[in-house]
Amino acid sequence: MDEEILRVEHVEKRFGGVVALDDVSLSIHKGEICCLVGENGSGKSTLIKMISGIYAPDKGDIFINGNNYKKLTPIESIHEGIQVIYQDFSLFPNLTIAENVAINEQLAEGARLIDWKKIYKTAASGLARINISLPLDAVVSTLSTAERQLIAIVKALLADARIIVMDEPTTALTQKEVNSLFKLIFDLKSQGISTLFVSHKLDEVSAISDRTIIFRNGQKVIDQNAKELDVKKMEFYMTGHEIDDRAIQFTKVEENALPLLQVENLNLAHGFFDISFALKPGEVLGITGLLGSGRTELALALFGELPIDSGKIFIDVKEVFIKNIVDAVHAGIGFVPEDRVREGLFLDHSIANNIVVGIIDHLKDRFHFVDDKQKTKVGEEWIKRLEVKTPSGELPVKNLSGGNQQKVVLAKWLASDPKILILNSPTVGVDVGSKAEIHELIRNLAKQGLGILMISDDIPELTNTCHRVLLMRNGRIIDEYTQENISVKKLNSELVKSTGLDDASLGRKEK
Amino acid sequence: MIQKLLRTNEFVVFLILVALCIVIGFINPAFFSISTLFDTLRGATVYYILAFALLPVIIAGGVDMSFVAIAAVSTYATHMFLISIGFEGGIWIYFAISCVIGGLMGLLNGFLVTRFKLPIFSVSLATFTMWYGFALFFIGSTMNFNLPNGAVGYYENYLITVADPQVGKTGLNSSILIVILAGVFIWWFLKYTTIGRGVFAIGGNREVAVRSGYNVKGILLTIFLIMGVLSAAGGVLYGLLNRFFGPTVLQGNALDVIAAVILGGASINGGKGSVIGTLLGVTLIQVINRALILCGIPAEWQKLVVGLILVVFISLPALRARKANKMGHTTAMMELE
Repeated sequence: MDEEILRVEHVEKRFGGVVALDDVSLSIHKGEICCLVGENGSGKSTLIKMISGIYAPDKGDIFINGNNYKKLTPIESIHEGIQVIYQDFSLFPNLTIAENVAINEQLAEGARLIDWKKIYKTAASGLARINISLPLDAVVSTLSTAERQLIAIVKALLADARIIVMDEPTTALTQKEVNSLFKLIFDLKSQGISTLFVSHKLDEVSAISDRTIIFRNGQKVIDQNAKELDVKKMEFYMTGHEIDDRAIQFTKVEENALPLLQVENLNLAHGFFDISFALKPGEVLGITGLLGSGRTELALALFGELPIDSGKIFIDVKEVFIKNIVDAVHAGIGFVPEDRVREGLFLDHSIANNIVVGIIDHLKDRFHFVDDKQKTKVGEEWIKRLEVKTPSGELPVKNLSGGNQQKVVLAKWLASDPKILILNSPTVGVDVGSKAEIHELIRNLAKQGLGILMISDDIPELTNTCHRVLLMRNGRIIDEYTQENISVKKLNSELVKSTGLDDASLGRKEK
Repeated sequence: MIQKLLRTNEFVVFLILVALCIVIGFINPAFFSISTLFDTLRGATVYYILAFALLPVIIAGGVDMSFVAIAAVSTYATHMFLISIGFEGGIWIYFAISCVIGGLMGLLNGFLVTRFKLPIFSVSLATFTMWYGFALFFIGSTMNFNLPNGAVGYYENYLITVADPQVGKTGLNSSILIVILAGVFIWWFLKYTTIGRGVFAIGGNREVAVRSGYNVKGILLTIFLIMGVLSAAGGVLYGLLNRFFGPTVLQGNALDVIAAVILGGASINGGKGSVIGTLLGVTLIQVINRALILCGIPAEWQKLVVGLILVVFISLPALRARKANKMGHTTAMMELE
């Protein structure tokens, strides 16, 4: 076996009464691609923070390159060659590529003065190492997500990384970008650099992993050669129970019901063209496509955030004009955003407050003050109906896990009794267990007669919930799948096919 | 290249400044005279230094109010002390004592901000009020016009003198050297020291700065120390040029200085700002001030005009963002973050 770089032995970490990591041991060898998998709150990020020196373990030892650390500091961790690429890439948006890339060297040397020539030289050699060319004096805030990720990787390499930890690296990437990232990771492997790939996208894990480690509730449940683990097995270890996709019961959509929502020839410059479709009561209609295919724009347009340039929208066979969000809400449309933390919730407020925020006008007492009792009652009711896991509705939303937060966003809209619900990537960043629950919830809502429009690029999610799926590319609907002719594999290959074309054809990359 | 230049606020301020000067000169040719130039510089001296003092704090993402209190109180305390012991010497003792006191006052802000993780603005609001109150209660409540012999003539300590037909003999006050010194120091500090780059890093993303191994507390303490020392220097010059020291001077000027720094291209959210821009921002406000007087427009208009220019300035990034947003693309929107 290759040289061992990192070994963690029997570490434990508690936060108050909560055990975040419980007697975890693991090791990473030179040139190994290790995947760390687990649901939210399983202890993955605690482990990352521990090996990067941000948290000190309460018990246990960390060995890096044979050196034993009881209390590792961030600087020591960097010196030993551990580099963490966080989801935000840890870049300074206001500084140039050169400075971002070369800053660590300056800090590591403890230099008091800045040698700009050296910074540019270092940066150039760093970019050359992974064969990319970007202007060194470009300010990072002007780069795309994938470019920023590359810069973060270069930064790690320049710090003499021996292990690069990537925390959910593919979340904001297109399929094409994911592929080139994987190529880069293999390339690093051949240079003897190990990767700890933290993800809950299991298909990506199977594609890249040498060895897969799965955490559940702060414990390591398995640590195995990746070839012996398929997606089903991984799901099992993550959740502790099997998730069965096949037993899903779809209710039939009433064939001759009048459409709840019908759109005709919708256009939005730089967004989408000539979009027509109909949504019936009780139907879940999926819209998929890659980043930039126009799917997000379409969702935002129907919700009035990016009003359409032309076309017609009918709700209950009556034409409506949606020019802003207020119009959309009046027309009975609810919208669950992709970024629930920023766009969907008041994190510091209680769960109950978040649920009633849309219907606060209906909760007034006779003095026109908000009726607290009724608020709590409505809150509790929805918490029960959607099975939000919380001891009390008075707790702030930020204490909930991703999946439960998403349920609160759903509850908020459901409380206002919409006819149509638009869900934009409803389970991004939600763990496997809660994901299945949310899917169940979506199907149940449809059963009750709601029309649901679901934007997603998570193919199993679409096949598990949708009656029909529309595929978008370059701003147009290019195909439609029904339950009879849909399959995960087919949709996947169709999706990948559409890479690369959209940028040029929409004139997006004119910079 | 020109496109790139046009995107920088510094260049836009520069253009506005040039345009403004041309217009004023057209209305009142008296504006184009050496004495106007010297007068403007003299009027701006204190503000240049205060703006330089504040600039690193703003780049680090904070807005401080208390630097004017530090400027006033450290110098008033120094002056009252020196007068009480019958000091008759020169200005350097003023600078030395005031800067030490000012530095300590700045460090107090820094200490509160770093030790208790308090927001810079809140801390400075508290110390702003506290120091002015302190001066009035413990040091004295009246302005003092009694300058020592060694310092009393400083207001007409000229590097160059010119004879002006309208105002008689005037000149370039030597305090401009201190401005240049302070400006070059801050420029060098921000561009060529690791701590200075750390200031930009903190303003860009504080969390990341911590993770990258910047000594964030040390950096914040340093910039508050610099703020304190430079504010005190500005305060001394204010006293010397106006020939009095008072416990509550500059109280209403904190916002003018903040406005000047923002006009100079610094972002109120941190991460951006430059010495050149700050210089231009202060100059612009001073020129507007003078211009309106020269053109016979009441001084009250000055605030309105500066305010309007500020509105345009702070809207510029938002306008650019809106343009990109209209593109309607996820990627385009992400790029703006």
